[in-house]
Amino acid sequence: MAEGFAGAPPYGVAPVGVPSRLSPRVLLIDPVRMLPSLFLPLAGVLFVGGFSPASFGWAAMGIVGSIVFSVVRWATFTYQIVGGRLELTRSLVSRSVRTIPLERVRGVDISTPPLHRLLGLSVLRLDTGAHGGGDKQEGELNGVTVAEAERLKTVLLRTAKARRGEPAVLPQDVSRSFPGIPESRAEPGDPSGPLARPPAQEGGPGDREGQRAGDQAYGRPSVPFEGRAGVAEGGGVASSGAEEVVYARVSRGWLTYGPLSGAYLLTPFALIAGAVGLVFQWGEQLGLSRNQAWSAGMWLWERPYLLVVFVILFILAMPVAGGVMYAVFNWDFTLRARDGYLVAERGLINRRSVSLERRRVRGYEIVEGLAERWAGVMRVWAIVTGLGDSETRGQLLPVVPRAAALGVTTEAIGALGAPLRPHPPAARRRRLFRAIAPWLAVAVAGAVPALLTGPWEWWLPASLGLLLAVLGIPLGLDRYRSLGHTYDGTRLSVRSGSLRRSQAVVERRAVVGWTIRQTWFQRQAGVLTVIAGVGAGSGGYAALDVAESAGPVFAAEVTPDWLTPFLLTEPAAGTSRPE
Amino acid sequence: MTVPLRAPANQVSRKAITLWLLEALFGFVLLVGGSILAATWIGGSGWSWVPGWLSDNIWLLPVVVGVVMAPLVVIEPFWRYAVHRWELSGDVVYARAGWISREWVFVPVSRIQTVDKAQGWFERLLGLATVEIRTASYAGSSSIKGLDYAIAARLSEDLARRAEELRDDAT
Repeated sequence: MAEGFAGAPPYGVAPVGVPSRLSPRVLLIDPVRMLPSLFLPLAGVLFVGGFSPASFGWAAMGIVGSIVFSVVRWATFTYQIVGGRLELTRSLVSRSVRTIPLERVRGVDISTPPLHRLLGLSVLRLDTGAHGGGDKQEGELNGVTVAEAERLKTVLLRTAKARRGEPAVLPQDVSRSFPGIPESRAEPGDPSGPLARPPAQEGGPGDREGQRAGDQAYGRPSVPFEGRAGVAEGGGVASSGAEEVVYARVSRGWLTYGPLSGAYLLTPFALIAGAVGLVFQWGEQLGLSRNQAWSAGMWLWERPYLLVVFVILFILAMPVAGGVMYAVFNWDFTLRARDGYLVAERGLINRRSVSLERRRVRGYEIVEGLAERWAGVMRVWAIVTGLGDSETRGQLLPVVPRAAALGVTTEAIGALGAPLRPHPPAARRRRLFRAIAPWLAVAVAGAVPALLTGPWEWWLPASLGLLLAVLGIPLGLDRYRSLGHTYDGTRLSVRSGSLRRSQAVVERRAVVGWTIRQTWFQRQAGVLTVIAGVGAGSGGYAALDVAESAGPVFAAEVTPDWLTPFLLTEPAAGTSRPE
Repeated sequence: MTVPLRAPANQVSRKAITLWLLEALFGFVLLVGGSILAATWIGGSGWSWVPGWLSDNIWLLPVVVGVVMAPLVVIEPFWRYAVHRWELSGDVVYARAGWISREWVFVPVSRIQTVDKAQGWFERLLGLATVEIRTASYAGSSSIKGLDYAIAARLSEDLARRAEELRDDAT
């Protein structure tokens, strides 16, 4: 089916005339893959039917049906490379053609699960860096022969590279984690680490070689070795002409800010839940019968003061345990620049190092909880294109004071050069309404039965609702104060939230599109939500409740080429400022 | 409407009204059927905590649902037909959608990653198609529903070709 591709065809020239199908051998895998999901219904049919001949007939029909489904699905799925595009055509019930331009292909991933291996098949996945549709979004060919997969990979990657006109594709993210303490010595640039040692002893030759080999194994250009040794001798700061800059080294004193972020605060409860579960699961083996555990619980239940003491202890333990966990994970957090990468390192026991390719960094997100704002500290994440699991991997700074955070982001990524513009008063009304009304409704709904029936206990839900409604007033006002959006010529920024306030600062070039939304209620209030689609981070950053007249103008201000043709009014400087 | 955006140039196919009507009817039948089921279940359960006035009049539930939803079934398709519009000009796809709430999407062709042309059951019956335009972000992705099959085919072909010419891999 692929005669023309054995040689080295120039890109886009050799379209395969006939669309190809997956290997028919995949039909042997499909029914097996469906078995687990079919098992319960089949067993159910057999049980309900009392294992009568008829029930076996039904079950057999189910199995035959699933096999027929697989065959039809296989027969109606084809793929084809046509003129620089890969087209996947599926015409089972509804007909769909997916077109993937080959220059969008960032990587081709071939995997062979056990069953596939038995049959000489493999799964080929295209990474196009696309989001929004989940896994469905990426091209997947599940069940091509190994040879075909290799052929496709060669063709796809060569074509993609040629069409992009790039010399080579570097991995955009290199993530390493050192499983044990001893290996953390392998990082010579960090003498203040948990195992601080005199520079003379810094890292044996074996360590260094290992580190270098590791770098090469990950396809990263090897770091000039002398430069890094020089760093170690220079006392941790780039001093001998190395291309390494340390942007931030979080001092141990700042670790005490950890509990303010609310991270790991539930640790004690997780621990006690784990312990209880363990007792119930393994108690028998330990000579502790279920009854004993039960009676211990009852004994405790009959002495409520003990329970109260326990609860108080746990609440006291929350910040302490949370702080300890936080310190273990964020010990000696260091952010440095090396070779076009931003490298963040942290951890006491499990030292984790994440490298973010700088040319893929598009901005940053600043997050502050209520307690953190009160203490003047904040956390920072990088917004990086094509970074999966960005919540853990993208962290640029743990909880640090505001000045330090802004200093580091300015130096490492860039500052935002414009103040946030406030949103119209209608936005304040909407924030207030949304913070108060639900709780007021709860209070009213609670008051009705309380009025109808007598006992005072019925007033509890009502008064709780009322209390929360009253608290909603400052919450709503603060949520309004948090709202803001701006554009300074290179970066746009949006901010929202109160209990967890987050501000995203994103480069203009990262914007891939705009969505403007207006619900019926927003239309009555004359506001709308502008979402900047960004091919990085969470995918979209929304300016909530912008004035109706200002929203589209703001989008046009950031990307004039795209939006001005559709605007009714000519944007002039300052028009996007609300009244 | 005071949002300072002009309407996109092209309307979707008139047959889209039928499509939305079919879809709305389908949902309506499901909803009313579901509420009838729920009503018989609650009415026949004899649960003690259900107040008497509620279980006696539970047959009203599907009636209320039907009466409230029926006008919407008729209104929604026409309202949508008035709102749903699209345009491709200056290498930007501009689409408007929605009815009670509405949504404007701008997708520059240079950032398009995949263009899908899809047909559901009803769409296949009516000779309509949906063009799904995806970028690296959900907020820069759009699907234009209820296009004539021929128009959808031409649009997706044009977009795919133009996206190839304009490729701009900033993301």
